[in-house]
Amino acid sequence: MTTRWIATGLSHDLPNGAVMAGQWQATELAVWRSATGKLAAWKDRCPHRGMRLSHGFVRGETLSCIYHGWVYGTDGGCKHIPAHPALTPPAAICAEGFACVEANGVLWLAPVGMAEDPPRLVDLRPVRTLSLTCDLATILGVEPALGGSDIIRGSVRIGGQDEEICLLVQPRPNGITFHALCSARADVVQVSRWLEALRRSAEEKVAA
Amino acid sequence: MITPQVLNEWYPVAMASQIRAGQRRETQLLGIPVTVKMSDGAVAVHGESDSFPVMERFGHVWTCLGSPAHDLFAVPEADQPGRRLVDVGVVRVKCSPLRAVENFLDIAHFPFVHTDILGAEPHTEVNRYEVQIREGSDEVWATKVTFYQPQAAKSAEGGIVTQYMYRVPAPTVSVLYKTCPVMPDAWDVIGIFVQPLTEELCDVWPWMALFDDVTPEAELIAFQQMIFLQDRSILENQIPRLLPLDPGMEIPTQADLSSIAYRRWLKKRGLTYGAQMVAA
Repeated sequence: MTTRWIATGLSHDLPNGAVMAGQWQATELAVWRSATGKLAAWKDRCPHRGMRLSHGFVRGETLSCIYHGWVYGTDGGCKHIPAHPALTPPAAICAEGFACVEANGVLWLAPVGMAEDPPRLVDLRPVRTLSLTCDLATILGVEPALGGSDIIRGSVRIGGQDEEICLLVQPRPNGITFHALCSARADVVQVSRWLEALRRSAEEKVAA
Repeated sequence: MITPQVLNEWYPVAMASQIRAGQRRETQLLGIPVTVKMSDGAVAVHGESDSFPVMERFGHVWTCLGSPAHDLFAVPEADQPGRRLVDVGVVRVKCSPLRAVENFLDIAHFPFVHTDILGAEPHTEVNRYEVQIREGSDEVWATKVTFYQPQAAKSAEGGIVTQYMYRVPAPTVSVLYKTCPVMPDAWDVIGIFVQPLTEELCDVWPWMALFDDVTPEAELIAFQQMIFLQDRSILENQIPRLLPLDPGMEIPTQADLSSIAYRRWLKKRGLTYGAQMVAA
């Protein structure tokens, strides 16, 4: 697998003080945003007992594991172990970091050390995230106006107008997740309905 | 991994009262299909062609797929007058049977998983306690465990500092002794009997021997079910699913002494069903 940026969600789905599950290829991640808006992404596993950090909770500038409340700062270092309040946690206790950046309302993930920036998406605005239980080829078969592999683009007819659609592909084990964007002037409600119709057609094709 | 040591242990496979009432339970043990039912007036456990030894104790049916290496462990309190024995039922959990036991030994999670019931911030500190492998019985014991609890039991009124003792008398069993809220000089006894269906799936049978003749049985069961369902949300989300026995995969602290002792005890005895031996 090549090292590249993969979209894992849309900015508006991760408000300040929230955590969500993310994925970079087969690696499961916890993606969170502190109270002041700082983003961080780590392997979805507390080093203590392996609990998913995406089930944790954000307080201020820290994320706590839901199992034993171990507190991690945005740099991934463990700051506090509630079972031993007087202890300063050793620096070796830290969550395993991933790179997470935000651009054009999209959250992108990559292993630490990516030299280039995530893809530039000009004149597009985020719509929604959609998960489908079919593969990419089926979707492209249903809507021939779309094309691409990691980033699917095309101009489609929505509500009597030609609108630019951009689908950021996030492969999953049993399907595919899209983070959808559209041209800035398009009606997002209509685009959202068009996307649902696309999903229905593609999944019906698989079922048939 | 199924070792001879794993095969020669006793495991719970059913609630005795249900089988005695005529129910038949098709289940599995260590990945092998087994049936528990009444046969000629006695509880019987059999596989596709074999029949297995049966023991009825602590409200449950126990069996062994190999040659029992020893008798089933003892819980003397089960026969103590005045105690109420409660079979809670079954909770299926998609986790290693060993992770279920380890979680039962853990107190540091109380404020975060059983919030405002078995624990509450800021009372999060775990004081040093003692852990030993008892010679003779070859059991893991943790003693002198104390923890502040807002509602230690259904019968508790307000917060108390609860004292605990924990024991692991069999690889997939743990029994705890905790301060009885209505009789501070006595211990309430709560056990979990874990049936390993596979290495990553188990049926947990909680069981209680309490001094509480007031609380209706349904409420006692509901309280314990609530606690176990909160634990399940953790147990089904630990990575890896198997319990790592090699140090290095996870980072224990002093509060995890009982977990460390349990893992070493399992490893030394070859009780590795549900365990991960090599760091992934």
